[in-house]
Amino acid sequence: MFTNCSLGHCHIIVAVVLWSICVDSRKIRGISLSYKRFYRERKSFLCIDGSKMIPFDQVNDDYCDCMDGSDEPGTAACPTGRFYCTNLGYRSHYIPSSRVNDGICDCCDASDEYRSQTPCQNTCRNLGQRERAEVEGQTRVLGERLRLKQLLIEEGVLTWREKQAQLRDLQRVSDDLQTQLDDLRKEEARRKEEADALREREIGARETADNSPTSHYRPESPISVFKELDSNRDGSITVDEVQAKLSPVQDEEHALSEDEAVALLGGAHRVDLSRFEETLWTSLRTGDSVTIKGRRGVPGSLADEDPNIKAAVSAAEKASADLKRVEDAYETVYMEIRDLREKLSIDYGSEREFLFLHDQCFQLKVYEYIYELCPFSQVTQKSASGEVVSLGKWGSWAGPPENPYCQMRYESGEPCWQGPTRNTMVMLICGTETALRSVKEPSKCQYVMELQTPVSCQPALRQRGVHSEL
Amino acid sequence: MAAFIVRMGPLLVLWLAVFLSGTWAVDRGNFKTCDQSAFCKRQRALKPGQSPYRALLETLELTNTKLTLQLINDNNKVRLLLELYRLQGNMTRVKINELKPLKPRFEVPDVLINDPPTEPLSLLSQDENGVVLSLGADSQWLIVSAKPFRLDIMEGREVLLSLNSRGLLAFEHLRIRKDTQVDPEGAEKKEETDAANEPAEGETAKEDGMWEETFKSHTDNKPNGPSSISLDFSLPGVEHVYGIPEHADSLKLKTTDGGDPYRLFNLDVFQYELFNPMALYGAIPVMLSHSAQRTMGIFWLNAAETWVDISSNTAGKTVFGQMLDYVQGSSETPQTDVRWISESGIIDVFIMLGPTPTDVFSQYSSLTGTQAFPPLSALAYHQCRWNYNDQEDVAAVDQGFDEHDIPYDFIWLDIEHTDGKRYFTWDPHKFPQPKDMLQGLVDKRRKMVTIVDPHIKVDSSYKIHNEIRSKGFYVKNKDGGDYEGWCWPGNSGYPDFTNPEMRAWWASMFAYDQYEGSMENMYTWNDMNEPSVFNGPEVTMHKDALHGNWENRDLHNLYGLYVQMATAEGLIERSGGVERPFVLTRAFFAGSQRYGAVWTGDNTAEWEHLKISIPMCLSLGLVGVSFCGADVGGFFKSPSTELLVRWYQTGAYQPFFRAHAHLDTPRREPWLFGPENTALIREAVRQRYALLPYWYQLFYHAHHSGQPVMRPLWVEYPQDTATFSMDDQFLLGRDLLVHPVTEEGGRGVTAYLPGKGEVWFDVHTFQKHNGAQNLYIPVTISSIPVFQRGGSIIPRKARVRRSSSCMEHDPYTLFVALSPKRFAQGELYIDDGHTFNFDKQKQFIHRRLSFANKALSSRNLAPGSQFITPSWIEKIVILGASKPSKATLKTPDGKENLLEFEFDASMSVLTLRKPGVNAGVDWTVVLQ
Repeated sequence: MFTNCSLGHCHIIVAVVLWSICVDSRKIRGISLSYKRFYRERKSFLCIDGSKMIPFDQVNDDYCDCMDGSDEPGTAACPTGRFYCTNLGYRSHYIPSSRVNDGICDCCDASDEYRSQTPCQNTCRNLGQRERAEVEGQTRVLGERLRLKQLLIEEGVLTWREKQAQLRDLQRVSDDLQTQLDDLRKEEARRKEEADALREREIGARETADNSPTSHYRPESPISVFKELDSNRDGSITVDEVQAKLSPVQDEEHALSEDEAVALLGGAHRVDLSRFEETLWTSLRTGDSVTIKGRRGVPGSLADEDPNIKAAVSAAEKASADLKRVEDAYETVYMEIRDLREKLSIDYGSEREFLFLHDQCFQLKVYEYIYELCPFSQVTQKSASGEVVSLGKWGSWAGPPENPYCQMRYESGEPCWQGPTRNTMVMLICGTETALRSVKEPSKCQYVMELQTPVSCQPALRQRGVHSEL
Repeated sequence: MAAFIVRMGPLLVLWLAVFLSGTWAVDRGNFKTCDQSAFCKRQRALKPGQSPYRALLETLELTNTKLTLQLINDNNKVRLLLELYRLQGNMTRVKINELKPLKPRFEVPDVLINDPPTEPLSLLSQDENGVVLSLGADSQWLIVSAKPFRLDIMEGREVLLSLNSRGLLAFEHLRIRKDTQVDPEGAEKKEETDAANEPAEGETAKEDGMWEETFKSHTDNKPNGPSSISLDFSLPGVEHVYGIPEHADSLKLKTTDGGDPYRLFNLDVFQYELFNPMALYGAIPVMLSHSAQRTMGIFWLNAAETWVDISSNTAGKTVFGQMLDYVQGSSETPQTDVRWISESGIIDVFIMLGPTPTDVFSQYSSLTGTQAFPPLSALAYHQCRWNYNDQEDVAAVDQGFDEHDIPYDFIWLDIEHTDGKRYFTWDPHKFPQPKDMLQGLVDKRRKMVTIVDPHIKVDSSYKIHNEIRSKGFYVKNKDGGDYEGWCWPGNSGYPDFTNPEMRAWWASMFAYDQYEGSMENMYTWNDMNEPSVFNGPEVTMHKDALHGNWENRDLHNLYGLYVQMATAEGLIERSGGVERPFVLTRAFFAGSQRYGAVWTGDNTAEWEHLKISIPMCLSLGLVGVSFCGADVGGFFKSPSTELLVRWYQTGAYQPFFRAHAHLDTPRREPWLFGPENTALIREAVRQRYALLPYWYQLFYHAHHSGQPVMRPLWVEYPQDTATFSMDDQFLLGRDLLVHPVTEEGGRGVTAYLPGKGEVWFDVHTFQKHNGAQNLYIPVTISSIPVFQRGGSIIPRKARVRRSSSCMEHDPYTLFVALSPKRFAQGELYIDDGHTFNFDKQKQFIHRRLSFANKALSSRNLAPGSQFITPSWIEKIVILGASKPSKATLKTPDGKENLLEFEFDASMSVLTLRKPGVNAGVDWTVVLQ
């Protein structure tokens, strides 16, 4: 079922066969012109395989004498025989001998049912006319389709070039970013070292300095600040105590209102140490709203005290941020390159004619399901309830060796209950529009789709002829 | 030591059975063992011994047609009525019912084709110990012994068969429940039960399951209480018994000591196991016994759940033990003892006395009818799958067969073709134009089968459901409401097919104007008709469901037969009584052969399942059902290519030839396995088509005289003990012997060619082999060994076409296989292939072909019949011939024509060229 793809439509050119001159007075039923030479009337007939000589009147006498069936081209007697439908006005072809006089019209010229009850009409003329009209129509359409195909191939070529250029650009950007990264990494390391060194020095200085409780140089703990604010030493800080000891940063003379104080205590009138750490301490640490009266700066911080350290730290931070930004950019570019490379490594056909399908998706609704094919990516099925099931991820081209690009295989979709994983075979067929034409599930969880596209159209094959009317 | 071995034999079997039964139980828990079936447990607890039953000879009455006699159970004083009939054709009928049952007990209707004609019985002698009756002219007697009651059927001084010789007659009389009910009949009844030496009712009733029993989550209410029956049969001189299908077991039935009895209870068993006595989809309570001296049959006409115990006095013995018996002269006669146990109804048993296998087949078919004569095309190849998805799919598969030049006659549609599992409808999207599809098949002279199951979706917008409901045709639950259960459509009702009005209505639904989208070339498949109830006890109907006045308990095994009966009637009616129907069923009972074909249900794509298809169909053939087949390829799972090819090769030589596959399996149309395998399958199918004239003739005989189509070898070689247990090969009719290859990678088989002094011809090579030998035959993948019997003539049609209909008027090739005495005989049967005209208007040709004294002739076997065929004799192939100097054809008009011929001296094959004479006239070919 999946192994044969027709190479486009079978197109027929009208071949005028010069055969009228050869028509013999005595017709041997069921043979083609080219076999006529084997059936020249003589006394005897030699089976075409040479196996046996029989009297000529045993040719087509409805008894099989030759192993190869050659003595009965016009009857059903030989199991291995074949009957030639001349089908004047249409296409000639062979049928198995078993279809001669079996009550089913096989040849359009009705020649196979010469002795059965079934009345067969000669429909060759109509078929021929219809087919010729179709062929003509299709030839026109095919021209258009092939033109579209060419456009899509060109589009593909452009896209390919574009992508290649894009890849080169990205590569360049990536290289630039790489250089920047090297520089920034060094810069960041240097800045960090500087800041660390300054800080170490400062800490060393502080350790030798005066140890007074009001010293601005000693880092303060929440406990010490708590104790400092807890004037009555009852183990809690009240609104009164806050109002007494704290003032806004901008205006030390201004007293805090009760509401402000309550807000600082996280909405409470009284906090213990642990609540203090979660509320007021945090505000004090940030140092942008309130401060302890008569004190400058933020408790616990030292950088802000020394402009040198402050500058060094912020320089280090900036260097780090710069590095991060460039690293992110590099990562993005790296991913883009990887995606692009992956995309470009896919086989898009001998002329990259299928490249245009990339980044497109096609949908088709069949009964209650919506099927979506995103070529070179995945196939999904969406139910009316909105549930999306994977019917397979891009696997490979799967046509026969002589025409690999007529089928795509998508595999490893969602597993079936008690069965294998879902997979989908996409058959590519020639058509004007690019669209999903059908979806079927011949076996459970094995899907078959038809994707129509002009890219799958092939120039007409001049294979078989149609007899002209004589 | 010898005694030790003899005793250890059965013990070992017992131990193995117990040990093994626990280990590979997969789904067994869903189905009852005898121990879990209350009546079986109660009955089986009764051991052989002195029967409490006594014949009351003073009640004996002998009329022209029967003898009646009362029996009394001395333990509880309940009286039974025995009726004995001598039936025409060497049969005895034994009927035992309660003399005065509380309410009537179920007697199976619609299975016997008529009231069996009787012959007079005559009383030879009578005394206080019993009576002796003459059973006609064959010096056969029936001895009725009074105390304890037993029956013996004798021929001369030889006992053929004894009833109740082991005292296992047990009849649970109907009774009033003591623990809850006030006895309306008062003291008289009370007295009876007081005297009864039975377990006291009341407390023990529950544990005995007399009034209620629970299995898994299902409780079976038994308003009628205990009602089971049992009887034993002893068969002296018998070591081989067969039949009682359906079981996935060997042809020769095994003894059941230490294991479960064979169970007959129609069940939908998911992924059934092989080689065990579990019940399956169908039940035919007919057992055949066979020895070199005689073949007999026992037909236990009871449609309730039934268990059959088999024991044998030789089965447990080792060969050494048997030899020792022989040397010491202590050998008792081999004997097989059988015991039947049924849950309700009466004892109604037909003893078919043979004495030949052919006689038993005739006897049984005189009771229940013969195989329906199928349309010729139904004997051809069927292509099925769950499911062919839509019309396009059907067209593509049809086209595939033509492209690959493989014949087929029927394509099948499983449940998915319907509109939501509503039978008699079509899925509007997938099958919008069923008539177009069917016409497409008509154009190819092919046919279709659609499935129509008996579970009906409960849906008020579904016409079929509404009509059944409004007419009150559904089976009722114990409370009187419509019985409902789960099946494919979800909640479903089950039409009461036991009701003749319901069946008539059902049949009318097959009329072309009722079953929309149906046409003349569309036939029917009844599946799930055990019936299958997904949420019912043992996946079937509750036993207390009601069919009119009767419980499902009483007639369970009949349901499937009625479904097929009503469906086949529908197909006949829609054609105005002209066309023969074709209906396939999964469930069946005795008599089902009259309505169509059966298949062995949901098998598995495994080699063992291919192997078991042979004994399963052989067993069915022995009890009337000739039209049997197994799903080619196996239903569950996916077959290897080799298994598929071998299955096609086997199926081509089994009566019903259909490939089928489960929904979850990958597609397996014959051309999907590469060109080599396509060619192998094509060849197997073509062999089937070439042989259709012979198949048709065999089915004509099955229809005409009840002879099975597919036969165990012993049927034709009844004295050849080597054949008695053989079930890896079989005969088609008398003349073809088939030995399928059922081993993976098989390189050869050992076939047994029967018949001392006979010869067999390999149908593929024409090589001749002597009979009465085991012959090793090397095989390739290309075919399986098939032999034609020397002494036979088989007609074939060598021009295999797209379908059997296309071959209708084709000429015949006769294969004449000469016996060592240069003799051969065969037949040729021809009719229109599809109507009842062969029967109603005697429109057929039936000819005797015989070869004797160097002359082959055709003469009329049915002078009263008339039929004109355009078919003629194309070729005559004589196997085992010598070279004549000339061959002359003589026709009735006095003309003589010399025939050309060829002679192959190496194989002694003489081929006569084109006799050309019409197949329906007299002719003779003389060789000189």
